This record gives sequence, C-alpha cells and structure tokens, in this order.
Amino acid sequence: MKRKGLSFYFRIYCKILAQDLKSKMSYRADFIISTIGMIFTNIAGFVSFWILFRSFPSINGWSYYEILFLYGFSLVSLTPVQCLFDNNWNLRQYVYSGDFIKYCFRPINLFFYYQSEVFDIKGLGQLAFGIGTLAYSWNKLELGFTPLMLIKMVIFLITASFIMIALQNAAAATCFWIQNSFYVMDLVLKFKDYAKYPITIFSPIFRFIFTFIIPIAFIAYYPSVVILRPDAVPVLSWLSPIISCILFGLSYKFWMYSAMKYNGTGS
Amino acid sequence: MKIKKFLTLTRAGIIESLQFRLGTVVIIIGNILYLIVVYFLWKAIYSSAGTDIVNGMTFSDTLIYLVLATALFNFMEMYIVWEIGRNIQSGKIVLDLIKPMKYRQYMFWSYSGSFITNFFFTLLPTFIVVAIVTHGAIYFGINLLLFIISVIIAVSINYSIDFIVGTICLYTESIWGINIMKQVIVMLLSGVTVPIAFFPEPLKSIVYHLPFQSIYNAPLSVLLDGNPQLNTVLTTIGTQLFWCVTMIALSKLFWKVSIRKITVNGG
Repeated sequence: MKRKGLSFYFRIYCKILAQDLKSKMSYRADFIISTIGMIFTNIAGFVSFWILFRSFPSINGWSYYEILFLYGFSLVSLTPVQCLFDNNWNLRQYVYSGDFIKYCFRPINLFFYYQSEVFDIKGLGQLAFGIGTLAYSWNKLELGFTPLMLIKMVIFLITASFIMIALQNAAAATCFWIQNSFYVMDLVLKFKDYAKYPITIFSPIFRFIFTFIIPIAFIAYYPSVVILRPDAVPVLSWLSPIISCILFGLSYKFWMYSAMKYNGTGS
Repeated sequence: MKIKKFLTLTRAGIIESLQFRLGTVVIIIGNILYLIVVYFLWKAIYSSAGTDIVNGMTFSDTLIYLVLATALFNFMEMYIVWEIGRNIQSGKIVLDLIKPMKYRQYMFWSYSGSFITNFFFTLLPTFIVVAIVTHGAIYFGINLLLFIISVIIAVSINYSIDFIVGTICLYTESIWGINIMKQVIVMLLSGVTVPIAFFPEPLKSIVYHLPFQSIYNAPLSVLLDGNPQLNTVLTTIGTQLFWCVTMIALSKLFWKVSIRKITVNGG
C-alpha cells in the first residue's frame, strides 16, 4: 500500500472534524451543560488551590505565583489530550461491544482514524483558563518577555502534552488485554492533579519514582522550570522533549500492537 | 418479608462487585499514590508555615482527616448518576420501573452490596492502619458509635443528592456534564480535598450552611473529637438529620414530578 502524505491526513482530519462538530451540535443541551461542567471543574480546582496556598507565602521555597505558574502550565499542556485524544475514553466500550472492528477496515492509519473521530470542544475552555493563569503569574513573577522565551515555552508545552498523551494512550490500550480499563484510565487521569506540585516536595525515593517510573514530573515540573528558574535547569528538563517523543512513540506502538491482537467479540 | 427482597439485592451486589477484582487492585494503587502525594504536599505546607498548628489542626490531624475522608469517599461513591443516566439513554429504565419495588429503593439496595465489600476492603483496613500508625490519635469511646450513626446519615444524604442529580438527567439527557458538576461541587464543599477548617471566613460559614459538609466533614469531626461535648455532637448530628430528611423529601418529590415526563427511545 502506498504511504499517504501529511497533507492527505490533514484533509481527512478536517473532514472528520466537521462531521463530529455537526453531530455534537445536534445535542445542543448536552454540549452547553458539558461546557459549563468543564468551567466548573476549572473554577473548583482553582478555588481549592487558592484555599490551600493563600495563607502561606511560600511552600518548600516555591512562591505562590511560581506554584500558580505550574498550575497554569499543567492546564495548558493538558488541553491537547482533552481535545484530540478524548476518544480513548470510549475505546473500552467499542472493544467490549465488538464495534471496534469497523475501524480496522479503513485504508488509513488505524490509530489516526480512531483518534480523529472525536474532537472535544470542552477542552478549549480549559485552554483559555490555563493561558489566563499562566499570563497572570508570568506578569506577577516579572519574568520578562523575549521571543526566545516564547519559543521555549511553546516547545516545552508540547513536550508536556506528549507525555500526558502517551500515558493516556497506554492506559486506554490496556482494554485490549483486560476487561475493564476504566479504572486504569481514571488512575492516569488523576496523575494530572499530582503533576501541578513541584517535585522537590517529595522525598528522594518518590522523586525518583515520579520521574522514571510514573513520569508525572514531566507533565509540568521539568518543562516549566526552564522558564521559571532559568539559572538552575536540571539536565532532565533539557532532555524532556526527547523523552516525550520516545514515550509517545512507545505508547503508539503499544496501542497499535494491542489493537492488532484484537480479534473481535460477538456480533 | 419485605426485608428479604432487599437483602437479595444486597447479596447480588456483593457477588457483582467481587467480579471486578482487578479494578479493586487498581483503585488501591491509585489511593496509595494519592495518599503519598497528599502526605508530602501537607508536610511541605506545614514545614513552610513555621508553626505546628495551622487553622487549629496539627499535621497529623490534617493527615488523618484527609486519609479517612478519602476512604469515606471511596466507601460512599455510588456512580448513581451514571447508572440512572445510562439507563435512561439505553431505555433499560423502563424495565426497572415496572419492578415491584420503588425505583429509588431498587437503586439503593442494588448498590448496598458494594457498601459491604467497600467497607471490608477499603474503609476498615484504612481505619485500622490509621489507628495503628498514629498511636492513639483516634479515641476509642462513644465517638466511634456516634461516627457510625453519622456515616449512616451521611450515606443517606449522599444518596439523595445523587438521586436528585440523576433525576435531572431525565430532562437534559446529558450525563457527563451533570455528573462532573455534582462531583466537583460535592468534593470541594464537603471538605474532601481541603479540610473545611482551612477555608477563609465568609466561605467557611456559607459552607457550614450547605448540605454537603454533612457528608464528609460531619462524620470526621465527630470521630476526631476526643472529648465530645453534648452540645457540639447534638448540633452536628442534628444538622445532618435535618439535611437527611430535607434531601429525602426533595428527591422523592422531584422524582414523582419528573417521572411523568420520561421519554424513552427504544429499549
């Protein structure tokens, strides 16, 4: 089979996206309520954050605005996984009911086709919230602003996104092996809440675990340190773009390998 | 005679929840991770605060509170909104409605089995571990009895709130948005994520006048109070009882009005 180019996939993506938006619009009430729900989640997250840290000038050497920066960073970097890869949450139902087989018969990449089917607009509210938080804390911290910083910021935001996407792909793919992957997905979803705290609060053992075994420190801490504390950037921060690409590649391979093992259930 | 049909549902629930052993293992791993994060986060907060007592709570008070709050949360979480919403969407609700039992009771007793398994697999072990690790920070006396009474009332309030929110699904046909809103509001205002003692003043008095704090904050404050005064205990449990009765009445009334509007596609 001839390999198809990027422009081909881009065109296909736009077409599928348009269909998805149309079908979402036919359930308008659900769309509006879900969007309000998402805004609620973000506000509540922010309120509990504010209650926790408002009475302390600094935690473990991290000022209030620095922690706020980490919080905003994690919100922005979680947007792609929310918007583009939300169909992972439905995977277990497709596999369980046997409907997954329909994706296997298209002459395009299976992973691409499956993920492109859903675009979650709710995530955009979170993006706006995250950007607002980032800009506010950036301003308060007086970090200054140069084009180079912006480029760094974008690169490291993408890095962080890739890590979360990789974790979620791997979690979703477990449904090909075990009956109910909801618990695994839910576990990974909770990681994002832990990612917003600086890794230095943990003891060395758990710092190691959260860096190398469950890489949640890469979702916000290592990438954002590049902007926050440019004088003392750990090597792992500079390596994080490469690590994120490797992890994403591995998760893709695992997803595809698991999908190939799939041999359908029932009708 | 009447109790027998309820107990049959309880037994079926126990058998059903024992089917998902792998799910339980993943939930336990998730909880351990959560507790590790909570431990180090609060340790960092307390060591930055400079004093041993913040907002009237010591480090070990806060930790015991949060650990037990998490255990209680896992004990009480029933996913009722999901269940009702999914039954409405699939049409299965019609079959449940013609059962010779009120729907509200049927849903509760089908879930009662998982209360029993959750009690033995999460709440009791957590309680014993906390009691041993903290060397008598939990008093064993009349407060244990009060705690059990308080938890039973809390379960009832929690169920009624869930049932009200589930009933809203009859109108909106949106599950995710409604459920996430409920979850976020209950978790924030009931003191599961941050103890209510840490809330700033106007917010604190507002929260004490809402039903949510009766679910987690009330039982925990009864349990952790080593020297219970008749006055405080009566106020806490009295408030709980008030909300319990109000919420049961509200949920029954709302269901009665709404059930006439039900529209089911297919089934």
